[in-house]
Amino acid sequence: MTIGASEVRHVARLAELAVAEDDLALLATQLEAIVEFVAQLADVAVPDGTGTVAVGPEQLTLREDVVAPIPMVRGPAAMAPAFVDGFFVVPKLGGMAEE
Amino acid sequence: MSARTLAAETGRRLGDAAHLNATLHWSQDVLDREADRLDAAPDGPLTGMAIAIKDNIVTTEEPTTCASKILAGYTSPFEATVITRLRAAGALVGAKANLDEFAMGSSTENSAYGRVLHPIDHSRVPGGSSGGSAVLVAAGVVPAALGSETGGSVRQPAAFCGVVGVKPSYGRVSRFGLVAFGSSLDCISVFGKTVSDAAHVLAAMSGQDPRDATTRAEAPMALPAPRADLSGLVIGLPTEYFPANLDAGVRAACDRAIAIFRALGATVREVSLPHTRYAVPTYYIVNPAEAAANLARFDGVRYGPRHIGAGGDVRALYRATRGEGFGPEVRRRILVGTFVLSAGYADQYYVRAQAVRKLIADDFTNVFADGVDLLFTPTTPTPAFKAGEKTADPVQMYLEDIFVAPASLAGVPAMSVPIGRDQGLPIGGQLIARNFDEATMLAVAEVLERATDAVAEVRG
Repeated sequence: MTIGASEVRHVARLAELAVAEDDLALLATQLEAIVEFVAQLADVAVPDGTGTVAVGPEQLTLREDVVAPIPMVRGPAAMAPAFVDGFFVVPKLGGMAEE
Repeated sequence: MSARTLAAETGRRLGDAAHLNATLHWSQDVLDREADRLDAAPDGPLTGMAIAIKDNIVTTEEPTTCASKILAGYTSPFEATVITRLRAAGALVGAKANLDEFAMGSSTENSAYGRVLHPIDHSRVPGGSSGGSAVLVAAGVVPAALGSETGGSVRQPAAFCGVVGVKPSYGRVSRFGLVAFGSSLDCISVFGKTVSDAAHVLAAMSGQDPRDATTRAEAPMALPAPRADLSGLVIGLPTEYFPANLDAGVRAACDRAIAIFRALGATVREVSLPHTRYAVPTYYIVNPAEAAANLARFDGVRYGPRHIGAGGDVRALYRATRGEGFGPEVRRRILVGTFVLSAGYADQYYVRAQAVRKLIADDFTNVFADGVDLLFTPTTPTPAFKAGEKTADPVQMYLEDIFVAPASLAGVPAMSVPIGRDQGLPIGGQLIARNFDEATMLAVAEVLERATDAVAEVRG
């Protein structure tokens, strides 16, 4: 498939990632090469009923429903770019319509 | 030796190795405080051992940056389970090792803080993504170091640097405190100067953790029982891992190891893992998809530097922070991962890759059910390559993972052992075992290590 600047711009928007206009052409070339490479999986004969891999435990078990706080040596105020009165401060939410 | 002396010697060695750029954060003060704690505590199985930590595993005394600008200055408020366990076992934990940004890479050239040099030939790469940890062990700074594997990020640098690298079974070691990258693949893994060093560290940090639901309800791994020889053991050589164009030095080193297996009483036979060639394309769908989801948390709200974008609303903040903070390879993976999960493409790419991943895992199940105890392969197609050689072409870099990605996709344990050198550069041999059978793998690795002159040239 062909990937151009408009596809990269669209995917970058979905990923909430700013990409400079000057970078679009190179990224499109690289993404197209990667997608072309992984597209070879279309050639694999996959029998009907092939499931998916379940790595890890045979089944996930529920832990007891008790609060077990993780010991913290410092609080969020020490890490956050903006933290006031127990809240992370962010700019206002703009319009949700896609630009 | 007192822990204080160990801390002083470790600090001196870290300083001497500074030119390799293998360490991102360390201070003598933190090492000394860690030593005081150890000197006041009873001895444990890791007493006397200094262990370096890949900088995507959180510690509370030094920053954790994942070698990314987006986490510049971040120090975790809590400690990874593996760190707590290693410290309780007597290890001196302090230095944080350089890596490819967010563990994405096979050469440790993608760090925002500069590339790591190969310890023998500085014009070459140490492998990746855990290149800093591998180099600190290879350069003799520490006897062991933690890395992380998503698709070979410990075995490949171990092979390039001439040290032991062990990826345990998925679910053997807690990932609580490992910065998540590919959650169905990630395994905290270990480098050792020797098989025994790596086995001791793995034993101390393994076992179920209530804070990581993906750990198995198994007792911590026992140290492998030593073997005198390999009699009664069936070792499989998958033909797909020995292609006609395999590097001549790598082939010669593998041939020598196979001769050692036979001489020590193992039955060696050819086997087939027919879906091997699809492992890298499968991996480079599953991994970016999981990475795109996991890295959504880096948004400039709760930690790390923030950039206010044009427009000034919260989405502009996300986009600007992420656009400024992530380096080129991380951006590529996020974009590819978002693409393969997006409407109209998910079935064609992501769902397809999940099915092929099952076929790859079934290849291993079938060969182990057919009487093979252990697989032996080269770890990498070539010895360490030159810096800059593969950076312009992402697909060429991805193909570096051709022999290490399959075991990661299947979740089975695998390791790299030094098996010789070609023109001065180390070569690694890979052992792959049944799920949760690290004991057989490590015991055979110890036998191979004992019988191999790993620093000898394998050709003439």
